[in-house]
Amino acid sequence: MYVNNEKPDINGESDLCARIIPCLDVAYGRVVKGTNFKELVDMGDPVQLAQMYEQQGADELVFLDIKASVDGQQSALDMVYQVATHLSIPFAVGGGIKALEDVHRFFHAGADKVTLNTMAVEQPELINQIATQYGSQSIVVAVDVNQEVDGSLAIYTHGGSKLAPVDYHSWIEEIVDRGAGEILLTAMHKDGTGSGFDTDLLAQFGAGFPVQVIASGGAKGPQDFLAAVHAGADAVLAAGLFHRGEYTVGEVKAYLINNNIKIRNTEC
Amino acid sequence: MSLALNNTRASQVAVIDLNSGNLLSLETAIKTAGFSLTTVKKPNDDLLTTCDVLVMPGQGRFAYVMQQINDTGWREFLQEWVRNGKRLVGICVGMQVLFEGSEEDPETNGLGLFKGRCQKLSHPKTPMVGWAKLDSYKLTMKDQYAYFVNSYAISECHFGTSKVNYGSSFCAAVQRGNLYGFQFHPEKSGSFGRELIKHVCQ
Repeated sequence: MYVNNEKPDINGESDLCARIIPCLDVAYGRVVKGTNFKELVDMGDPVQLAQMYEQQGADELVFLDIKASVDGQQSALDMVYQVATHLSIPFAVGGGIKALEDVHRFFHAGADKVTLNTMAVEQPELINQIATQYGSQSIVVAVDVNQEVDGSLAIYTHGGSKLAPVDYHSWIEEIVDRGAGEILLTAMHKDGTGSGFDTDLLAQFGAGFPVQVIASGGAKGPQDFLAAVHAGADAVLAAGLFHRGEYTVGEVKAYLINNNIKIRNTEC
Repeated sequence: MSLALNNTRASQVAVIDLNSGNLLSLETAIKTAGFSLTTVKKPNDDLLTTCDVLVMPGQGRFAYVMQQINDTGWREFLQEWVRNGKRLVGICVGMQVLFEGSEEDPETNGLGLFKGRCQKLSHPKTPMVGWAKLDSYKLTMKDQYAYFVNSYAISECHFGTSKVNYGSSFCAAVQRGNLYGFQFHPEKSGSFGRELIKHVCQ
């Protein structure tokens, strides 16, 4: 669907571009990098980093507040307001959302979307509530999936630390039925390995799948983004390779454009 | 000299708050572009003399947005506003309600300022979320990338100024004189969107 000049697929013509989404971990209103659960390295001011990625050509940003549950939400809400008043591309916020009231606060502060992970599993009704009140486009459900030793796929919550009591396939179906607008699919077995996205997994979400899928986990270079889009991803999310400065968003996008993928070109 | 100053006076822009979604990004974009901005919940006749441009964003269901418009008295006011040749800019569902109706809520009458009705997008992945390149003859929009979030759209309009494909073709923007509609979100469309806001508000 995102390859230029290809024959229209079963869904007809589409001008939609594949999206490139940098993800920023935040804590106490600062962008951080976690080396383990205790040590957090300060990476800088969220607004400055967000603007830098916008200038590089990011199509959207995701902020994950990894400490929201500890600190309450005020620092996250202040950050969302600052980002919303300085950014002119959309952004999603996740971390520490427990109830519809939290969602309301984030939207009121200026977020375009929220992402749910643990609470989606523990309280799936929240997906319906958000979709009903704010529309499907406002909710992204983050699915952390791990390929277990026996080769089966399992869902995890709590930042990947807890096996969830749900079946992978029925959980994906349930998320869609409940009204999620997008699925952020993180392959835990690929995350941080630099061995590329799980293209077999992404291939399960082709043109016939009813919502967009954001691929996450495993990016090492631009060719991995290309493979993810070819496999079926609608958007590709990455953190490390952008934050470490190995590639700019613009470099990744230029590579995809050169490989005939529909991408929002911000270079001209 | 005073005439020159008069001509360059910044437009007075008012955003209509229909209680359907967050206005922060739009307000920021208008203010950043250098315009003086007010937010209005209900119409008042002073607007006809004090305000140059009305911007009407809309999120959520067609029927909900129309109900807000009818309940607060905007329907009559907007018709008067447009009759006077004043500038009105509808964004997203705010553009859709400028038309006669929508497949989303077939019983609800739109403002009928443009002929035609909204249809559900024919692509199975809805809502459409993301960026698409505009097919437009207008220099302000030609080959620019805009950010869309919608499940319904106007497929045909004589006054279409740009279009995109998503399953099939739909109107990304319409214009008749001082009446503008954008199906995409200029306030979320990067530097292009900021320029477009500047262009339609000045």
